This record gives sequence, structure tokens and C-alpha cells, in this order.
Amino acid sequence: MAKTYKMLMFMVFLLLGMLIALQFRGIINKQDGMSVKEMASMLEAEEAEGEELLERLNDLEAEWSQLVSNIGNRQQDTEVMELIKQRDYEFFRAGLTSVRGDGVVITMQDAQSADGTNDIKDYIVHDGDINDILNELRINGAQAISINGERILGTSKLVCAGPTIFLNRNRYPPPYVIKAIGDPDVLYDAVDQLPNVAIMRLYGIRVDIRKEYDMIIEKYQLYESADEWLSTLEVVTE
Amino acid sequence: MKAFKTISLTIVCLLLGVAIAWQYSSVNENLVLAQYEKKSMSQLVEELLMERENNEKLQSRIQELQQEIEVLKNDETTDKQYVEDLKKSVLMARVMAGLETVKGTGLVITVESGGQIKVRASHIQELLNELKASDVQALSVNDERIVATSEVREAGDDYIMINGRQLVPPYTIKAIGDPDKMEKSLNLMGGVLSKYRVYGFNVTLKKDDNVVIPAVRDDGTVIRTDKLTPVPQ
Repeated sequence: MAKTYKMLMFMVFLLLGMLIALQFRGIINKQDGMSVKEMASMLEAEEAEGEELLERLNDLEAEWSQLVSNIGNRQQDTEVMELIKQRDYEFFRAGLTSVRGDGVVITMQDAQSADGTNDIKDYIVHDGDINDILNELRINGAQAISINGERILGTSKLVCAGPTIFLNRNRYPPPYVIKAIGDPDVLYDAVDQLPNVAIMRLYGIRVDIRKEYDMIIEKYQLYESADEWLSTLEVVTE
Repeated sequence: MKAFKTISLTIVCLLLGVAIAWQYSSVNENLVLAQYEKKSMSQLVEELLMERENNEKLQSRIQELQQEIEVLKNDETTDKQYVEDLKKSVLMARVMAGLETVKGTGLVITVESGGQIKVRASHIQELLNELKASDVQALSVNDERIVATSEVREAGDDYIMINGRQLVPPYTIKAIGDPDKMEKSLNLMGGVLSKYRVYGFNVTLKKDDNVVIPAVRDDGTVIRTDKLTPVPQ
């Protein structure tokens, strides 16, 4: 009887000890977890600040333009007025001005669930898939393209980064929304008939295409002055 | 003595029960956190650093503009810095659009079929995308400048089309940007160059301080804007 009792007590205490040790480790782990949460909220704050700064920058750019244009007007300075006109035109052609027009909107969303028979990679949208669509839009005469509000220029960065994509200077999670201005019917048919789109749909990736009229495509956002942007290359005048 | 045993056993069992419950709830919570963590810990740090860098850049640009605006408000005649600024911004826009010939540090790559497998439009496109991913400022294929509307199209067995023009091999791709960064990303395991090797392509890579990339033709056939209306800020 005494032996059984001792045995029982031994087992109970052993279990208790293990549980306390486990719990203790759990608490340490949770502290790591806290820092993830903290990191996420720091990132959120930084992103909010970035949005504010962008707005401020755009306001200042507008104010600067207005002041210069006022001076040009007041002084009847034709050189300045001509330069402002030229700048507006070149900014428009370069993608540095927001534009309006008809076209298509393509929304891409990762598959809801993977059935496990294939590689998980087959169920998510990749940079290659998006680049395929961009190329098809260009072949079919798209004149302005943006993804999640980032204007896509000739040298725009578009690269997969984990479950998100990196566009120009920023990272975006799915869904990916591609907007393109051009002939809506031509662009719609071209993307709808793309073999890669059919393959993506087969895996359950959602690719919705719709024609859109009179939509706005945002300008490319500059983060630096013209001087700074031009500092890394030399313009060769012929 | 018996009462003591019973009481102590009760206390121990009570403690055990509480510990099990506590453990259970914390395991559940950790599972949720672990998911969060797996998805994003290293990514969060990376994103935060990137966002900070962006914001610092914006801050300094904002300060610069504020100073310029002060000067414009107070005295507009002494120096005509704004005329220079306007000219610079016109030039920058023209370079970004691909309308100016530019020179700079970069990489020159040539690609040619090794015999069996032909170099296809998709092979060139993959290379261009990889270069764009390493922050280039200007790109060209056989001196056709890559602009926002540039397509890379399969044309025949022995040529591709870019900007509506036929290009024939060997393909020479030029990029202005950080050559080391570009080379590193091209040489990644499973990257573009390792695929090219599997296809048996002949590839050369040359860093150059004076890569010259010509302007795109400005006749309205490559940069097209007839379907676009500018939206004023």
C-alpha cells in the first residue's frame, strides 16, 4: 500500500515538474511572440508615416509648381512658361502624371486551398505570371499600366518576396490588381486567352478580368529630386 | 497523518489540474503566434528597414523642397534656380521615358544559341525581369531601349520583336545600374544564367563603366499616349 502510494506521488510530481518546465518555456517563447507583435505595430506606424510624408511631398511639389508658374506669369517670362509646358508634357509621357482612360482591370488572388497533390507553389501568384500578363498587355497596345497603384515603367522592379510582391519601392500582399489603359476589348480578349491564365485558373488561382471605362491610373511616385535621380548616369547629347 | 496525506494529495492534484489547463491554453495561443511568426518575422524586419529607408528619403526631399519654396516666396529675382530645376526635371522625365541616350556604369550581356535550343522571347524576357529586379535605370536589347510600353514578342524561329522591330541573335542586353548587384542576382542558384547553361546558350558578361544605351525612337509608335488624358494633380 505504502509502495503504491509512493509510486503514485512520484508520478504526480514528475508530471507536475514537466508541466512547469514546459510552461516556463512557453512563457519565454511568448516573449519572442510579443516582439513579433511589436515589430508589426512598428511597421504599421512607419507605413502610416510614409503615407503622410507622400501626401506632404505631393502638396509641396504642387505648391512649388504654382509659385514658379506665378512668377513666370508675373514677369512675362516666356522661357519659364515654355519650360513648364514642356515639363508637363514630358512628365505625362514618362508616367510621372496620373492618367485617365478606358481599359481593363485584372484581379489576381491566390488559390483558396491547395488539395495537396501538387507543389504549394502552384497555388500562388508569381512574378513570372504577372510579367506574362504585363507583356501581353503591352503586345496589345496598353499605354499605361499599374499594379496595386504602383505605376509600371520600363525599368520597374517586380519581384516575388515570400507571399508578397515587391513593386518599385514597396511591398504588396495579394490580391494583385493590374490596371491597363488601352482598347478594352482587345486587352480583355488577349489576357483571357493567355495560356498561362488558363493554367493558373486550373490550380484555383482567381484571375478576374473586367473592362473598365474612364478609370484613373496613378503616376509613378518619385522619392528624390531630379538632380539626385540623374546623378548616377550621364545624358549623352547627340 | 492520514488527513495530512489526503490534503497534500488533493493540493498536488489541484496544482496539476491548473498546470494542465494553463499549459493547454498557452499551447493554443502559441500556435496562433507561430503561424504569424512563420509568415513574417524576418520579412517584418526587412519591410520595416525598407519603409524606414523610404521615409528617410522622403523626409530629406521634403526638407529640400521646403527650403526652395521659402526662397521662391521671399525673393524671386536674385537667382533663377527654378529655371535650372525645371530644365533638370524635363531632362529627368525624358531619361525615364527612354527619350535620351544615356551613359553610365553597368553590365553588357550577350546571349546566343549554342546549337540545339534557340533563344526565345521568353528567355530574353526572363533576363530583363531579373535585371529590373536589381534596380536598373536604363535597359536595351540590341540597342532597342526598353520603355514602359515595350513588348518582348516571339516572332519566328530566329528572331524576336521588341518595340515593333525585329531583332536577330546574338542578343546584346545592356543595363545601367549597379553591376555587382546585377551579376549577383543573375548568378543565383536556379537563376537565369544557370538555366541558360542548361539550354547550352553561349553567354558573355562584361562590367563596363561606360555603357551607352540609345534613346527610343520618338515617332509616336513606341511611346503612345493617344488613349491617355492627363489628370492634373
